[in-house]
Order: sequence, then C-alpha cells, then structure tokens
Amino acid sequence: MLKPKRMSRLLIAASRDQMAPVVAELYRHNLFHIEEYVDAGAEGYEGFKIGSPLPGASEKSIDLIKIRAMTNAVSLSADDVDAGPSCSLDELQSRIEKELPVLEREVEELTVRRSKLDTRVKELEQKIFEITPFLDVPVDLNLYHGYKRFSTIAGYISRDVTITVPHEKHVVRGKEKNFLVVVFPTEQRSDVEKTLSEAGFQSVPVPQESGSPRGRIDFYQGEIATLNTEISEISKHLEDVRNRHASFLVACEELLKAEVDQSEAPLRFATTKQTFVAEGWIPTDQVTAVTNSLVHVTEGKIYVTVLPTDLEHDAVPVEYNNPDFAKPTQVLMDVYSRPSYTEVDPTLMVSIVFPIFFGLILGDVGYGLVLLVLALALRKYLKGEAGQQLLTVLRNASISSIFFGIIFSEFLGFAIPWWDPLVYSRHLMSGEHGGHGPNIPELMVLSIWIGIVHITLGRLLGMYNHAKQDHGHHRTLAIMANFGWLAVMWGIIIAIWSVAAVPLMPDLTGLPALASVPGLGLGLNLSIIIGGALILVGIVFIARESVLEVIELPTIVSHVLSYARIVAVGLSSVAIAMVVNFMTFDMFINPALENFSIVSIILILIGMGIFLFGHTLNIALGILGGGLHSIRLHYVEFFTKFYKGGGIRYNPFGMKRRFTEE
Amino acid sequence: MAAEAIVAAVDVGMTVEQIAASQLGMKAIGAGIAVGLTGIGSGVAEMGIGSAAVGAVAENKDMFGLALLFTVIPETIVIFGLVVALLLLFV
Repeated sequence: MLKPKRMSRLLIAASRDQMAPVVAELYRHNLFHIEEYVDAGAEGYEGFKIGSPLPGASEKSIDLIKIRAMTNAVSLSADDVDAGPSCSLDELQSRIEKELPVLEREVEELTVRRSKLDTRVKELEQKIFEITPFLDVPVDLNLYHGYKRFSTIAGYISRDVTITVPHEKHVVRGKEKNFLVVVFPTEQRSDVEKTLSEAGFQSVPVPQESGSPRGRIDFYQGEIATLNTEISEISKHLEDVRNRHASFLVACEELLKAEVDQSEAPLRFATTKQTFVAEGWIPTDQVTAVTNSLVHVTEGKIYVTVLPTDLEHDAVPVEYNNPDFAKPTQVLMDVYSRPSYTEVDPTLMVSIVFPIFFGLILGDVGYGLVLLVLALALRKYLKGEAGQQLLTVLRNASISSIFFGIIFSEFLGFAIPWWDPLVYSRHLMSGEHGGHGPNIPELMVLSIWIGIVHITLGRLLGMYNHAKQDHGHHRTLAIMANFGWLAVMWGIIIAIWSVAAVPLMPDLTGLPALASVPGLGLGLNLSIIIGGALILVGIVFIARESVLEVIELPTIVSHVLSYARIVAVGLSSVAIAMVVNFMTFDMFINPALENFSIVSIILILIGMGIFLFGHTLNIALGILGGGLHSIRLHYVEFFTKFYKGGGIRYNPFGMKRRFTEE
Repeated sequence: MAAEAIVAAVDVGMTVEQIAASQLGMKAIGAGIAVGLTGIGSGVAEMGIGSAAVGAVAENKDMFGLALLFTVIPETIVIFGLVVALLLLFV
C-alpha cells in the first residue's frame, strides 16, 4: 500500500541445453520481467552475444501470422470471446494439425473471392462515373469512336467557345460548368485543343462503349447489385465461420502466441556458446518460489541469485500494490503516469477521494441510480480490462453520488420531500420544488477547506518523497522548499482570518492589536504578524531552491480556490436539473392538467420529452463534469505537489491464459 | 441604508421597490457577465490547447491523459466566474 510492489533483481545462468525448460518455467510463472540484454559491451558481459531463437520459432511465427490473418478476415478479437472451457494441449495440437489447414483454405478462398468482387464493383462504379456526363447528350455511345478521320473530345468548360475548324459539337448547360462534346477532323486536333485550352477546358475520357448511356448505366447498376448480393453472401459465410470456430481460433492464437513468445525469449538473453544469462525483475516475495521451481525443472543445473538493487540507476519496473477496492483506480493513474519505484503511490488516496469529489459534485439520488445501472449494465458489453476498471470506478462514484444525494436531499433536481438536507442545502429555487434556499457561503468555504487539506497533504507527501529520493544538500533544499510552499499557504490563510471573519473558519479578528500601521489605522494583531512571518519565511525557503519558482506564488491562491469548483460545478448541475423540472411541470404539464383538452395531451408529451432530454443531457454533463473535474483536481492541484510518475510498467514474461491450459 | 434609499428614490423619481428590483437586475446582469466573459476566456484559451492536444493524441495515444489534463487547465477561469456569479446572486 502507498508503495509499489518491492522488486528484486534476479540473475539466472545455466548451460544452453537448459534454456527451453527454464524459459517454459518462467513463462508458466508469469512473474519474470526480462531486462533485455543489449550487446553494448557492458561490464562483466564481455564475450556475450544476443541469443538466437529456440528451434521451430519461425514455423510457429508463420502459423501465428496465418491465424491472425484469419481472425482479422473474420474480424474476431479475443476480447469478444468469453473465456470458454479450455481444451487440453494435446487435443488442441491435433486439432491445429487437422482442422487449421482446412479452415485456413476456406477463409482464404472466401476472402480472395470477396476482394475480387470488391475490385469488380469498383471498376463498374468507375465506368458508371465515366458515362454519367454523357447522359444528357442525345447520341449513342458507339457514335463517339471508331472513325478513321475524326476524333472526339469531351470535357467541362466554363463557357461556350467558337471553334474555327469544321466540327460538330454539343453543349449541355449545367449550373456551374457546361459539358461539351466536339467531333472534328483528326488532322486539326492541335487547333481545336489550343482553342479549348484557352477557354479553360478540362477533358474527361470518352467511354469505349456502345448503346445508349442510360441503358449502359442501368446494365452496370444491375451487375453491381448482383455482385453486392454475392459479397454479402460471402460475408455471411465468413460470419458463419467466425461463429462456428471463434473459440477454436482464439485458443489457437493464444497457444501459438505462447509458443512464439517462448521460442523468441532467447533474443532477450545474453549467451555464449555453452551458456546463457538472463537478468530480470521479480516481486521480492516470489523470489524463493521461482528459484525453487527453476532448480527443480533443471535438476539443479542452474545458478540463480538475487543481485543488489541500485535505486538510482536501475530501471525498476513498477507493479501496483493496492488493496482490491483500490485496484480499478489504477487505470486513472496509468492515464496520468505510472508512479516511479521510489515514490509514494497515491492510488489508494485517489480511490477514496475521487468518489467523494464526484459525489459532492453530482450529489443526486436519481442520477446516482441511473449511473449505477449504467455501470452495471455496460459490464456485459465492455470486455477489455481497462474498460472494466473504468466501469468499477464509475460504479463507486455513482454509489458516492447516491450517498451525497441523500445528504443533499436531491432526486433528479427535486427536493426529497421526507427529509431536509442533512448538512447544507443546494436547492437553488425556493418555493414549491426547492424547499429553503441554498447555503452557498457555507458550501464554498467547505470546498475551500477540502482544498486546503488536500493541498497540505500533497505538500507533506512532497516532503516525504524528496526525503526518500534525494541526497545531500539538494535534499534539504527541496524539503525546505516544500515546507516553504506550505508556510506561504498557511500564512495567507492566517492573515485572512485575522482581517476578515469567514464562516466555518476560525475568527482571529478579535485578537488585540499589538501594533498599528501609521496612516492606515490598520491594527496588527498577533495572528497577522504570525501569518506575515510565515509568508516571508516560506518565500525565502522557496527562493533558496529556485528563485524562478517565486513567480509561481499566485498559484497557491488559485489552486486552493480551484476547489470551489466542487460546489460551483455541482450547483450548475443542480440548476440545470431544476430548470428542466420547472419547464416540464410548471410550463407544460401542470397548466395542461388544469384545463384538460386534446391539446393538453400534446403539451404533456412535449413536457415529457423535455424531461427526458434535459435529464439525459444533464447526466452526460454530470459524468463529464463530475468525473473530469474530480480527476483534474487530483492531476493538477494534488499531483503537482509531489507526484513525478514515469515508472516503467511491470510486464512479466508470460500470459494470462484464458482459452488454453498450461 | 433605508433613509439613503429613500433619498435616492426621491432623487431619481423611483419608488423604493423599483430601486430594489433594479438592484436585483443589476446583480443578475453582473452574474451573467461574470459567467459569460470567463466562459469566452476559457474557450479562447482552450482553443489552442485543444487543437494541439488532439494532434498529440493522434500521434501517440498514450498522451491522452496528459492532453486531457492540459486542455482542462483553463477551465479554472470559468469556474471562478461561476463562483463570482453564485456569490453575487446568493450571498
């Protein structure tokens, strides 16, 4: 918790004939993050070379490519298939040998035929495109060609032209440009072309066809329709193949991918003629188990040792180490950046605070229920891992939304009639629907308090991170600077408390004045002096680390005030909901019910339409507003205080098998 | 306060109710201006960032999180406008 999983650097050395069992065993464990060997003459690795793939690698790769071509052709992805009953390896192997070539031929034949038909359709469409301009010329297409002494030119021109040589022409007037066909003696082609090009002529090819243009187009269109039915039949056939063999295909792909991965693993090892060395990372608590099983499969003919970790230079891969309820939030962390190995992993904090912010912004029982149903219903359709995680985050957020909806006593923008808001009211309209007015100042100050606490926590974490990561003089300066930022923030807050009374905050205005500013009549009490001193000390500490940082001082105020968005965005969503309700009931449904007539039914329908549309829109805005603003408060206001990120993803050698057995 | 209002009312030839109503109207106008102008400000600021962000995401999908982050940074301006409007109307 709050720290990535501890990793150990493992070195495995054995003779080359043990390579295959070692690789298979590592793959089975799915724990070893291979550090790729680069042939750069690193110290201690003189004379080593990058390994070569295990025998049979290229055949398996070719098979894998074929399978992938097939799954592409039938547009099948492993995410679409539920992890089914896995069949045994031998059975799958024999099926691959027997069934796969047949299936491959079938799919290939179908796809080749389909692409041929597709090409033919394109050709015909091109022909139709070429004939179309000639539709309005009252001449059969065979009259355009087949002369010894005459030539034909057709094309678009902006205005009619006078051609001096003997000719015959037809002009079809169009809206923007005119279509022109000219027949002339071949020996005078250059004159005609010159005249035409001066008039801005764009030529089009004259189709080598016979019969009337309309007739030809109809003929081709009929042919395209036949081809299209054939294509859709083939597509149906492919769909059929996909449905029949989906689980077999994904199982094949998985099996072959595992085999290819394993046979290509030596490309990442360092080898000599007789031996190989693999280096990589493994979670510290798994070292013994993996070592023992490696020793077991090689009957002791292996050397495995844990190398010392150098935190400054080693690129330690990062694997989250969170309790189950915080795991889905990792997707929000990965969007920003994975934590680096040495810093605090804030996933747990985000997983708690994010839903609270979301609930505070979209605190409405009705919207919360809709989102909850949405999150649970989409679970069936979104199969990828990241999608599932996001849906879990949404589920938690919507539960929090319901919770705060109960506190704020809101249901689709209405006040819940059975109880008043438990803490502060967000009901904007007083009267029939609203209950009593909103407690805006209290809510604002509350959100500012949240900001103060959140940012203070961020700075404290920043101090901790610097204490852990940095060394020597720089470490002291960085910690002091973080303290400086905290001091300036709290100095400003205390100074505000001493000059103005703010609801829900300590009131220090009553303290006796110790000194006064001459000319202004402003009393300086103890607290304002403390505040001012804190600000000064803070600025000095910040400037000692970097003078340029001093220009960032205003962000202290803006970042704290930024938390006011929790209330502001929330109130805007309440306002939209209330306006929608007002329009629905006070403008349409209630007046319609008072004087009921035929028109009333239409009015009621319009009212219901507005209700549905308005609340759907508001829910969409609520997800965007609630989600985006909550996560932004984390990313911009919270993380910038301490979080660096940039950790390498822990990518163990192996796979989670879904369709096959070990 | 009331005496001042009455004096003012006499000065401009309006009743106290009219003045109260026009004060309310002024508040509403002020709130509208606060949200409207800051909204335009955020929009202008997000215009450049947004287009650059879309470009960056098109090049590299991993940029999405950061791009989103950069795009919503100027949102703070309109939030401040909203806060000011709320304070004007309700405090």
